[in-house]
Amino acid sequence: MDRLEQTWAEAMRLGRQGNTAAYERLLSEIAKRMRRLIQYRLSRLGLDIHQAEDLVQEVLIGLHTKRHTWDSNRPFLPWLHAIVRYKLTDAIRRLRREARYRCDLTLDEWSTQLQAPPEDFDRTVANVERRVSSLPAGQREVVQALAIEGASVRATAERLRTSEGAVRVMMHRALQRLALAADVGETKSNRGKI
Amino acid sequence: MSSATDTDHLIHDLARQIGTERRRAALPFELVLLLSAIFALTALVGVVLLVFGIRPDMAAYLQGTPFHFKVASTLCLACGAFILARSAGQPGRDNTLAVLALVPGLALLVLYAADVAGPILGRSIYSVPICITSILLLSLPALAIVLSALRIGAPTNPTLAGATAGLLAGALATAAYTLACQNDGGLHVALWYCTSILLVAAIGAAVGRRTLAW
Repeated sequence: MDRLEQTWAEAMRLGRQGNTAAYERLLSEIAKRMRRLIQYRLSRLGLDIHQAEDLVQEVLIGLHTKRHTWDSNRPFLPWLHAIVRYKLTDAIRRLRREARYRCDLTLDEWSTQLQAPPEDFDRTVANVERRVSSLPAGQREVVQALAIEGASVRATAERLRTSEGAVRVMMHRALQRLALAADVGETKSNRGKI
Repeated sequence: MSSATDTDHLIHDLARQIGTERRRAALPFELVLLLSAIFALTALVGVVLLVFGIRPDMAAYLQGTPFHFKVASTLCLACGAFILARSAGQPGRDNTLAVLALVPGLALLVLYAADVAGPILGRSIYSVPICITSILLLSLPALAIVLSALRIGAPTNPTLAGATAGLLAGALATAAYTLACQNDGGLHVALWYCTSILLVAAIGAAVGRRTLAW
């Protein structure tokens, strides 16, 4: 533990002096250790362990943005632990809330989900594309990146040069808009059938 | 959902930021907090002198024991609250130990309460409302300043950090208010100063819970 403290504190100091390689090595070592810890904690809480990587990134970004608050005369590990704990409790609380939200479907709702009529695949794709392209530019980019290309929120935020929160908000708005459009479309076509 | 390779990319990007950032000497968090506390105190003294004016017996008042007690105890409280806020704003510091920093200020107040007699509700029925409202109103701008200083730090318990910011802002506002305070009764001062400061701490906790999260 003492050696870890020394190596990491030294790497952090080097990072402060602009040593990119040392800092990068430090972050990857922290990521490696955290990955295991987070996967373990997620599985114990019955949460999806595939979220682990997102949490790792969240912690890394947190400690990167707050790196100036480490006083180089003070031990590094307690500082790191406090940040990791803060970020993880926050993220796990959010995940649990989302998990609860996700499971809130009643049996009836599930059955309607499962009984959805088979649709013509090409037409669906075309529909999706048409609807996505009708979104405002910012939302379209976010949907394109997150839902179609499958990029992470963080990567998207970095590419679009905004915050993660902004990306989430944009995605949310886009989904609302799409859901609204889909609803209108369906009621229209239903009316046609009746 | 991202993969480990994404994380490696992210790490690479973050490290590159460190290499390319200009070598600006960012003020350390503690210094920012200290400077904002000093700034808030000076500004508040100015506001108190402007709003309440200079009382006719100012010279005598400034040399009397009650004023010395009041100023010393509130400034001591402010120092303690500063230590607490600094501790709450930096990850990995022990907050429980920092609470002890409040002891000297409180001890002075108790000493004052035991030393100087006077009615607990003050000279008139308006004394208590005036005291609490003035301190609350004075502390709001100070709270804003201290909270924004804390945002530069990394509070890992936003509610607690907000409360410490409230303590600091409240103590600074009270220290400034002592210039205008008309009541010298020890119990009055000890009781209502503490109440007002605690109220500000509660406001700080409620506000900090949201604004200090990162």
